[in-house]
Amino acid sequence: MENEFFEQRTDMSKLSKAVEQIKATLATIIVGQHDSIDLLVAGILADGHILIEGVPGVAKTLTAKLISKAIDAQYSRIQFTPDLMPSDILGTSVFNPKSTEFEFKRGPIFGNIILIDEINRAPAKTQSALFEVMEERQITIDGHSYKMQEPFTVLATQNPVEQEGTYRLPEAQLDRFLFKIEIKYPTLEEEIAIITRQHQQKTTDQLSHIQPVLTAADIIELRQQVKALHVEAKLLEFTAKIVFESRNHKSLYLGGSPRASLAMINAAKALAAISGRDFVTPEDIIYVAAPVLRHRIMLTPDKEMEGVSPDDVIAQIIQKIEVPR
Amino acid sequence: MLKQLFAFLLVIYCFLLCDTAFAAVKKTPARLQKDSSTVVVKGFNDKALNKYHSSESFNYEGPGLSEPSAWDRFWAWFWNTLFRKVGGPVIGNILKYGFVALAIGLLVFIIFKLTGMDGMRLWQGQVRKANLAYTESLENIHEIDFDTELEKAIALHNYRLAVRLLYLKCLKQLNDEELIRWQIDKTNSIYVYELNDPSLRQAFLLLTRQFEYVWYGGFTVDGDAFKSINQLFQNFKKQLA
Repeated sequence: MENEFFEQRTDMSKLSKAVEQIKATLATIIVGQHDSIDLLVAGILADGHILIEGVPGVAKTLTAKLISKAIDAQYSRIQFTPDLMPSDILGTSVFNPKSTEFEFKRGPIFGNIILIDEINRAPAKTQSALFEVMEERQITIDGHSYKMQEPFTVLATQNPVEQEGTYRLPEAQLDRFLFKIEIKYPTLEEEIAIITRQHQQKTTDQLSHIQPVLTAADIIELRQQVKALHVEAKLLEFTAKIVFESRNHKSLYLGGSPRASLAMINAAKALAAISGRDFVTPEDIIYVAAPVLRHRIMLTPDKEMEGVSPDDVIAQIIQKIEVPR
Repeated sequence: MLKQLFAFLLVIYCFLLCDTAFAAVKKTPARLQKDSSTVVVKGFNDKALNKYHSSESFNYEGPGLSEPSAWDRFWAWFWNTLFRKVGGPVIGNILKYGFVALAIGLLVFIIFKLTGMDGMRLWQGQVRKANLAYTESLENIHEIDFDTELEKAIALHNYRLAVRLLYLKCLKQLNDEELIRWQIDKTNSIYVYELNDPSLRQAFLLLTRQFEYVWYGGFTVDGDAFKSINQLFQNFKKQLA
């Protein structure tokens, strides 16, 4: 955003260019879903893990694969199934007869961009394997800790819990996701565009022409830039009030954690950066409030029965808090 | 045919031969053994029998089952006598089930009231609309004396605060002109989109950007910059008039 009275104090050109490139790459395959794509890019810039939820067939996995293809980093995919074991994700110690020693064989979690497909198809035992790595960026096996390489981002997809064969993810794990992005059905016009594009396509592999636009080093650099953005003290207070109110709302029995407050600020910074600003506005915070909080808060059973959604409650909370001005 | 006859005769011969062989085995007569042990006659323990006789658990003809309690008699009167006497056997049954349905409905109503649930929405599939229970604004723009406060801020060279006051004054003017509706939860962009006049919207968008840079962006404003920003606000005021 240009402003004639103030000199640009942060060079946002590289970041803006990178964001434009990623969006353009995604737009070659994905029709619509602009908000979801913005949040995905913001999530990556905010150094967060992202949970993508939607009914089958709305291009959740495709979007996540596209993002990972657009970034030239070590990509790893784990298909979560009910019989998956923690060692299938993290790795295991294997006996080497030649050296007569146990050697650690790294699992697929060792990578930069980890796509976990259908994450809620595995039970809580398997999910717990992700707790340490998602928060601390390391795993501990046989008393030895293994650090993950930066950048480390988990992109997980899931069907809503009402779908057959799915488990509810543990609260502790949900709290580790920066965003829960809900992918909705496309509009009629978008659906026509999807069919037309697929009909005109010559090759079966639609991702074959996708070229990386960012390297792992670029991501690290952009994240540092995002981290340094300006946030006014009143906006920190505004964020804290939103999360605090979620803990006292009568429709909720589990509110947002302090990790949620941190996540909101980081996400708002990333969103401001995407908008070309080097400072956060209340609108950035309000925009990210729902994707940051919707998977962290839990409705009381009666509200759930009434059909109230977490987004409704978040909107109610925000409506009660004065926008700092 | 002859072959089959021969086979049949052979089987008969074998059978007879076996029978003769078994008959040849000498049979010994069975001998009856005498039991000389003493027989002890066992009887029921009277004490134990009396104990069971006096136990309530084994009293199958007790007064509890044969005679209904006062509670049972009340319900028997309630269901049979009251309903059947009022409407006969058919209407009485209808009344009885109607009464049960009414009682269940009342119970559900009490549960909904106690838990604060909105029962109608369960069937309508609607979600509850947000209750607009606003908290009181920390700073009511209708009560601020903008001119005095602005003078103070400029005198103290607090241009950042001065820009904020100019913006709040601008919002008040728009609200007074009924071009926007002031609400504490509305963001600046919402106010921008509430303006229907495109030229006014564009001008207000520019002011909003200046305010955001100064107030949220933490940009320092010197006297010259403030003069320029102030001029923008004055122009907008003229445009509004």
